[in-house]
Amino acid sequence: MKIRAIAFNTFNGLMRNKIIILFCAGMVCVMLLALTPLMLARNNRAMPADQMQSLVLAIISGVMGMVSGFGSLLAAWAAADAVASEMKSGTILAVMARPVHRWEFLLGKYLGVQLLSLLYVFAMLGLNYGMAAIGGIHIQASVWVLIVYPMVRYAIFSAIAMLLVTMMHPIVSFGIVLVTSIAANIVAPSAQAPQFMAPWVRKALFDILPSTSALSEIRFLTTTRATLHGAPWSDHVTTLVYGLNYALVCFVLAAWMFRGRTLSRD
Amino acid sequence: MAAAAIEFSNVSKVYKRWFSEERVEALSNVSFEVTPGEVCAFLGPNGAGKTTSIGILMGFHFANTGTVRVLGYEPGDVRAKEQVGFLPENFAFYKYLTGPKLLRLHRALAGRTAPGDEKLIAELLAKVKLAGYENLKIGRYSRGMVQRLGIAQALLCNPQLVILDEPTSGLDPAGRREVLQLLVMLKEEGKTILLSSHILPEVEQICDRVVIIDHGKLIRTGRLNEMLGSGTSVEIFVDRLPAEMESTLSQSGAAIERTPQAVKITTDGAHKRQIAEALWAGGCDVISLNPVRSTLEEVFLKTVDGKESAA
Repeated sequence: MKIRAIAFNTFNGLMRNKIIILFCAGMVCVMLLALTPLMLARNNRAMPADQMQSLVLAIISGVMGMVSGFGSLLAAWAAADAVASEMKSGTILAVMARPVHRWEFLLGKYLGVQLLSLLYVFAMLGLNYGMAAIGGIHIQASVWVLIVYPMVRYAIFSAIAMLLVTMMHPIVSFGIVLVTSIAANIVAPSAQAPQFMAPWVRKALFDILPSTSALSEIRFLTTTRATLHGAPWSDHVTTLVYGLNYALVCFVLAAWMFRGRTLSRD
Repeated sequence: MAAAAIEFSNVSKVYKRWFSEERVEALSNVSFEVTPGEVCAFLGPNGAGKTTSIGILMGFHFANTGTVRVLGYEPGDVRAKEQVGFLPENFAFYKYLTGPKLLRLHRALAGRTAPGDEKLIAELLAKVKLAGYENLKIGRYSRGMVQRLGIAQALLCNPQLVILDEPTSGLDPAGRREVLQLLVMLKEEGKTILLSSHILPEVEQICDRVVIIDHGKLIRTGRLNEMLGSGTSVEIFVDRLPAEMESTLSQSGAAIERTPQAVKITTDGAHKRQIAEALWAGGCDVISLNPVRSTLEEVFLKTVDGKESAA
């Protein structure tokens, strides 16, 4: 009951957060910008149907890649801000004066951020299908993949941000999450590694940083009917369990760090 | 003897900056106790370490050394927090909530939601004079209203121990009087209260015990009556005072003040009997003889100033 109360209150607060409203406005702008190439592709009568489908899918996956990436940043910022704003304003003092364990407070905050992520994922799903309808194609990827994959990815980024914000300023925490997400993409096996990076460094970073590229739902967006059964269940399970495990470890570390933290108005 | 509601024994707290040698000693070997049912005034100038001490009691900060027990438990233990009502200094709130919603949230955080909550919340809001503002967002409250709401949330779960950090800050005189009445009521109910405030005449009206700290050190603690009664002077009121007696008394160090109704003679308590007898013998009517009782403010200022001049 306590955790639920904190989670819903956190979600309530995040829905009024100006930076988060700005994030969402950015998403709407991206969607509006994407409409033009989509309409052009759809109305290009000279293009064969399969080519047009590929083009529309490419546009959708490009736009959704950006929107989904925004979501990772949104989750990280929301997690950092959810804890830091309570410390800054001093509201945490009245909350922690109640019979609430510190881990319960942090878990409530984390779940509140996941509620926001869920809302964002559903908005993204609507955007996906809306764009597909405008482009005149059907999305072949399963709905659950388009919901669960980004949710797990956001859970990782929000857990990392929460871990960092127990030790440092929220902007620094957010910056580190941003650098982490970029670095994780650079060291992914599918990416071209930069020249300056020694193979062992790349390997070490790949092992430490979250492999969020594996958790990208965008790769499923380009799935066509012919390749629909490409990913077996075992792959999904392995990837999702890896992601959840990573988020869990970060959250447990965050709870451990928060245990000894001084609670005061920053 | 009942176990102390608050036990603060040889507590020290040092703030250190990361990657720096800078150290701030917020508390140094501070010890005091508050027994159940007592109202304890926790006094000290700004920066004395009051809020740090309260933070340690609530489990927000950790003492470097010493022992702290709140209702027999470690600070921050949920079993203790279940019985504690707390009002932080400059109470902060979720601006997007209304008063009743905030109190409902706090009931949920206390794990005490029950069917009768709405009635309880309405009664509590009426008690702190916030009835009629149920639909107003807290962000639109005045400072005084926020403080009243803070007091309501501190009393929400019928706590045994109430810790109030500057409860009358931001309140007008009428609001301060109402808070004082509320505290008197809590005292009558047998609650233990730890009260930090700078408005000493009000504190004096309700507290049983006083703890004074300054620069992180305990400088005086004791029962209020003992502290205030420690003055050795007496005031003698007489209807008239002949000139020859006035000069004799003045020479012996007595202060004489003439008012239209009477003459007030302030003198050392050791000579009171001798002076009173001399006045009777001289044909003066002794109207009253009262020990001069210091005010808490005087005791506080004398204690803090004395400590500073000694330093």
